[in-house]
Amino acid sequence: MAEAVLNLEQQNSSISITYDTNFGPHDDIILLEIDDKLLPHVLNNRVTIRGNVEEDAVLCTPSTTYALKFVGTTNSVFLIPPFGDVEASVASVIKVAPGVMELVEVAPKLEKLKMLLKENQYNGNEDFMEMGESCEIGLYRWDDLVERVQASDVELREGLRAFSAVEINGYWRVVEESFMGMVLNMLLHNSVLSGWSLDGLVENEVVGVLESDGFLREIARLCLEMYGDKVEDEVGGGYVWKLNEKRVCVHFARSVLNEGKMKMESFMEKWMQKIPSGMSVSFEMLEGEVLLEKLGIETWIRSFSVSSLPLTPAERFAALFRERQKWESMDLEPYIRDLRVPGLSAEGLLLKYTRRTQPTADAEPIFSAR
Amino acid sequence: MQGVVEVQPSFQDRLQNLEIGRLCRSSFQGNYTFTVGYHELSGSRMSLKKPLLVLKKKRDGDPSKLDEPTSSRVELEVIGIIRHRILFKTRPKALISSKLTFI
Repeated sequence: MAEAVLNLEQQNSSISITYDTNFGPHDDIILLEIDDKLLPHVLNNRVTIRGNVEEDAVLCTPSTTYALKFVGTTNSVFLIPPFGDVEASVASVIKVAPGVMELVEVAPKLEKLKMLLKENQYNGNEDFMEMGESCEIGLYRWDDLVERVQASDVELREGLRAFSAVEINGYWRVVEESFMGMVLNMLLHNSVLSGWSLDGLVENEVVGVLESDGFLREIARLCLEMYGDKVEDEVGGGYVWKLNEKRVCVHFARSVLNEGKMKMESFMEKWMQKIPSGMSVSFEMLEGEVLLEKLGIETWIRSFSVSSLPLTPAERFAALFRERQKWESMDLEPYIRDLRVPGLSAEGLLLKYTRRTQPTADAEPIFSAR
Repeated sequence: MQGVVEVQPSFQDRLQNLEIGRLCRSSFQGNYTFTVGYHELSGSRMSLKKPLLVLKKKRDGDPSKLDEPTSSRVELEVIGIIRHRILFKTRPKALISSKLTFI
């Protein structure tokens, strides 16, 4: 029938438009506006709708997440289906559509992933031989995560990598920070004992030794990934790693500040004692990790890590302004650098969520809550 | 088209198969004329900037899985793609003719 309408070729020919025998609300029929570039994904079954009943649905291609928004209209949109006689003189309307769904690209909703992974963090005290039903609480396989997290597959994998998650026995886990610190210390001790260079750690060797010390191979490899960078190596087919000075030193800074806030001199002294020999520190390493405050004539330092803050812009800025009412641009930047909102630049984010003031023309701009 | 087609009250429950109006392809530049009652709407065919997918919602109600969060799995089946529409956006012209009869 749609063909019959489109084929009204002859001038002055006409066709009757009627309500179809099956005309009705047909609430199960939805119109979705879609970009031509997404069409191949849809037609090849590479698109899924994800989310729980109580969440707003999102549509995911292999690599992108879109919110589904209904846009109503006061117009009458008559839907004429394609089947029927091309030559017919009658075209019938099956439904009057109240509006269409639109796709809006959104950032993947990874807060839920973070929350799920935190439910049962790995800390070494697990005997897999004895794991029964009760031990599976808070444990998620890849498919479980896909069902619960509103993100495309690519974005989900990237999220797991960003949270330093590791797959153990088919379950994706994050490891307790203190436990990971212990593994790092073992690695450093062994490197001294065995004469390993921290710039050229041979993966097979490191993993082998840590395994004999009682750690899972996956944990040993995670340690290298978290605190090192892979160096291309052709010898023997294994990988070689170089410890990343910044990530190692930041780790030790965090462990020092676990005790709470302290005077700057005190912190620097303790920090220097903990870092591996051969490594040097610079204060810039701690951006996005610590906050300084002047109490009297002394400067105090305490832990404030971007990794502990919410992932979504509104919540992130709220947390930042709760901590400190006014921020200078330089201090604020490391705490918002990782925010990604499709269609919004860094400047756009600041415009949307902050109020910018500048005391004098050559003073630094100050950002506060809107 | 803008607005709503109102059915005479006596026909409210028996819409099916009722004629809404007549669609005519006029001689003027492929325009279309849609006549509903004594109103004449003038419109043209256009390609949609973004195609519309026609989706049919199917609920997969597996009774044995009612306890799982995803037990009411919904599937959307693509039953069509709309790439064109005939859009009537001008104010309807009232036809007054002695030949028109009202039911």
